[in-house]
Amino acid sequence: MIRKSLLALSLVAAAPFASAAPVKMCVFDVIGANGDMFNMVKDYALEMKAHGVDFELRPYTDEGVAVGDFNSGQCDAVAATDLRTRPFNRFTGSISAVGAIPTYDDLKTVLATLAQPKAAPLMKEGGYEVLGIVPVGAGYLFVNDRSIDTAGELAGKRMATLDYQKDAIHMVNHVKATVVPSDITNFAGKFNNGSVDTAYAPAFAYEVLELYKGISDGGGIVDYPLAQLTIQVIAREGVLDDDTAQKSREVAWGMYGQAMNLIQGQEEAIPDDKWINIPDADIEGYQEMFRDNRLQLRDGTEGADKVYHPKMMSLLSKIRCSSNPSASECTASDRE
Amino acid sequence: MISSLDKTVGCMVAMRTKLLTLAALALLAGCSANPIYTTTGVVLSNYSEGEATPYVMQMSDPEMACALGEGIDPLLYSFSRVTDAPDSTGSLLMLLAGNCSEYQAWEAELDYLREDYAGNVPAAKDARERAKRLNAETAKRRYIAYQRAMAAYDFDPGAEELECPFLFTDQEELTFLMGLLTGMQAIVNDANSGAMAGVPRNIAPQAERAAQCVDNEKWGGLPNAIRSLVWLLLPDTRPNLSPDPWEMLEDSSRLGIAAGFRPSMALEAVAAETFGKPEVLEDVIARFAAADNDIVVWDDYRLVDEVARDVIQFSSDKYWTANYGYRTPRRHFGKMSPESNDEDVETMDLDDLL
Repeated sequence: MIRKSLLALSLVAAAPFASAAPVKMCVFDVIGANGDMFNMVKDYALEMKAHGVDFELRPYTDEGVAVGDFNSGQCDAVAATDLRTRPFNRFTGSISAVGAIPTYDDLKTVLATLAQPKAAPLMKEGGYEVLGIVPVGAGYLFVNDRSIDTAGELAGKRMATLDYQKDAIHMVNHVKATVVPSDITNFAGKFNNGSVDTAYAPAFAYEVLELYKGISDGGGIVDYPLAQLTIQVIAREGVLDDDTAQKSREVAWGMYGQAMNLIQGQEEAIPDDKWINIPDADIEGYQEMFRDNRLQLRDGTEGADKVYHPKMMSLLSKIRCSSNPSASECTASDRE
Repeated sequence: MISSLDKTVGCMVAMRTKLLTLAALALLAGCSANPIYTTTGVVLSNYSEGEATPYVMQMSDPEMACALGEGIDPLLYSFSRVTDAPDSTGSLLMLLAGNCSEYQAWEAELDYLREDYAGNVPAAKDARERAKRLNAETAKRRYIAYQRAMAAYDFDPGAEELECPFLFTDQEELTFLMGLLTGMQAIVNDANSGAMAGVPRNIAPQAERAAQCVDNEKWGGLPNAIRSLVWLLLPDTRPNLSPDPWEMLEDSSRLGIAAGFRPSMALEAVAAETFGKPEVLEDVIARFAAADNDIVVWDDYRLVDEVARDVIQFSSDKYWTANYGYRTPRRHFGKMSPESNDEDVETMDLDDLL
């Protein structure tokens, strides 16, 4: 008896967390374990340890592989961009709907709203649960010619488009540009060597992928957020109990400020003269064009797939109209 | 008579020399700087480059070398106020000063991992914050070292067409190469600080191009190790038909052992950590430890090999601390688990004695 107790004690001493099995998480960061995003997930994991969850992080530089390993059961959770996590939760996967969150203030409202305990039921879908959402920055349009400053100018232009992003493909077709299928690892090369005229990416790509080469003297970055990219942590339902999962979403929301600091630094690193300002008069027209696209991608009309979740479209519309009540969409009959 | 003529001629020669020296000093000094300061600056710069640097490069004590960097850099580089900036020596001194910050950052990182292992969250958070701040300091110093190394050889890393700098001596080649490596390290430190230092990330593709300016084999595979790490980070930078980056890293490590200086192995270890390949990390640490038995260290650059050892040791310590709560025991360097190899030892039956 004593021997058994001693054995138990020694096991406890050898492995202090043997009781709480580590939750394996596949973490996507374009530059792996020494990347900004991986480091932020480390902070999140440390916070979660205080709530009794022991995350074991594994870096991935290809998010397709990260999600694949999650699907095959090698990880209990995955942290990847919402473009890849959409199949696990269409509601949160619609945050990056085209043109749906035009300012970072609106984004803050969206993420604060979703971190509330009341939103918990919306975080579960088809056996998966969203454990947290952290912003990565707005996607902007990079062009090799500054005269491409209206949607009309995009007609006939070649645009590097992520081949798994159905909503982007629909949008590119809508403006009558040519889709050049690409992935995260090769779109920058295509833009820089001139085999495409335009590409879209968050600000962090500007320096590290040397997108200024593709912009060179004549091009620029259109100063209007096409979509808000986020990293979402998805776990199989039941990996964390309901209370801990809610705590996790609150911890992730608590990292909003840290993430925004990072994003602001990346956007400020782009020289002022590289930004292309859109006249206010044109912006409303774009917003209406984006809205038409969102409706098509919500309802599956005009050849679009049903990509966006109606509830998220409705929430984002409310938030936009709360910060900009005079927008024409707020009184439109087909309001999202 | 002859002797007095001799004296007169001698005096005239001496006066002429003094006048020439004064004229030279006046030229060097410009209008505002004290000529003595300027001369001292020139002398110190030349001495540092010609004597102190080769001496320090032969040292086997990285911590003493880092203290030298922290202590001397502000004095030596202050001469850039009165004469040309001593960029090549200034780059190496700042590189050493960066190592000082990094040693502290490493200790903070190990504290974080140890506290995390023990489940002591507040202490782990405190150590992690400390590590972030120290990583920011390291990143800032290393970014300066990188900029000075590029300036020392009038090299524009962002130029559209790669134009290699003129590097006349081994020391110049190494200073340039170390500058590129330090720039890459600055990015890693900045990311680990939460981007507090704001180091531009385009150093990576620029270093990939510039690394082609020095001979790969001569420098123990380090240029190709830098290139393959960037190919892994930014697949777009990888030329068509180039070898697999992991194979190239391993080959660079082999060349490093052959050359007697192993920074390529440190890069291979960093790559293994970055891309989550524990099996490669285990392998490179084991190869480093095994090489200790037969390597003939390149005496002129012993310090570089020692700094590489510290990086490998830290990689091993990080793994051990994260998995077992303590750093690598001395006799386990080269292994990734505390299991000993004593299982197969024959033992005698004690029944007769009991």
